[in-house]
Amino acid sequence: MKRLLPSLRAKKRYLAFELISEGPASRSDLVKEVMSSASSLLGDVIASECDIKVLGFEDWKGIIQCSHTKVKETRASLAALTRINGKRATLHILGTSGTVKRVTEKFLQNPKVFEPKVETKSRTTEE
Amino acid sequence: MGKPKFYDFCVHAIPDGDNTAPELAALALHFGYSGITLANHSDKLPQSRHVLSSTDGFEVFKGIELVEENPSKLNGLIGKFRKSVDVLIVHGGSETVNRAALENPRVDILNHPAFDKSSGLNQVLAKAAAENGVAIGLTLRPLLNSRGSRRIRLLSDLRANLELARKYEVSLVLSSDAMSCFDLRSPMETLALAEVCGLEEDEAIDAMSTVPEKIISRNRPGPGYIREGVEVLEEGDYF
Repeated sequence: MKRLLPSLRAKKRYLAFELISEGPASRSDLVKEVMSSASSLLGDVIASECDIKVLGFEDWKGIIQCSHTKVKETRASLAALTRINGKRATLHILGTSGTVKRVTEKFLQNPKVFEPKVETKSRTTEE
Repeated sequence: MGKPKFYDFCVHAIPDGDNTAPELAALALHFGYSGITLANHSDKLPQSRHVLSSTDGFEVFKGIELVEENPSKLNGLIGKFRKSVDVLIVHGGSETVNRAALENPRVDILNHPAFDKSSGLNQVLAKAAAENGVAIGLTLRPLLNSRGSRRIRLLSDLRANLELARKYEVSLVLSSDAMSCFDLRSPMETLALAEVCGLEEDEAIDAMSTVPEKIISRNRPGPGYIREGVEVLEEGDYF
């Protein structure tokens, strides 16, 4: 089978994020909360146009994919996320890019971006 | 024009909120803010006000959010705290309090004006706000933490206030009203959320950077400040 040319593929944006949360969160919990917050804020119709997918999530960081025309709506619905598993949480978007490779290189491999001091501090004070 | 500097003008620390001021400041700095205002409610002030050191490119402003039902007492409180704080916010919520706050040019921001079945503003109050230079505060926390019918109410109030503010050219301030670290959102996400909620992009940027800067420069006169409109810009022999 012949592969689709890059110019014919649907354009995507990839958002690198870090999760700041009181308690542990698994990928499936995150997916559930992201979807419910998107459908609550934007409505099911626009949320479906955003085409939000959680590609990977480990060690409090991950990548979310969305349609390239709906980055703003996606960001807003991620900002509207307040709880995961009943524990308070915040999704902080580190940056966006057009390819997974670039977004990983630029935002997820740079140790400077990650600031565990704040996270552990906020987590311990809540416990 | 470089990148605009973003400020969060209403953050509550211990004992009002859950987290201490240095924690909130560290997180805000990590999120990319250039400054925050610690504005505890006036009925929950810390015992001692410790001075926060401002690091390079990040400043913590002193603020207060006055909670008072009685307009004449409110005016008394405004007089009492005005000199000692950089940002004076009034917690609205009734016709009389909103009016007292918007008609007093010494107030900087009116937060939560909405009550019962009204968005809190009307044509008369919006005009007064524009004349006295009082900004209307748009807060994120209630928007984030509610869903369904309550959020719909909040959004329609926001839209009504926005329309009045555009018509009478009232300035807006977008703030998180954070009670804990988990209520803070980074500037870009706040902008995205504001745009989804009906603000234009430049309005949202103004509400997070230009208007706060104006408020600070108004309340922190430079060394050459003499009175409103009169300022010595450069020391030197003039005669």
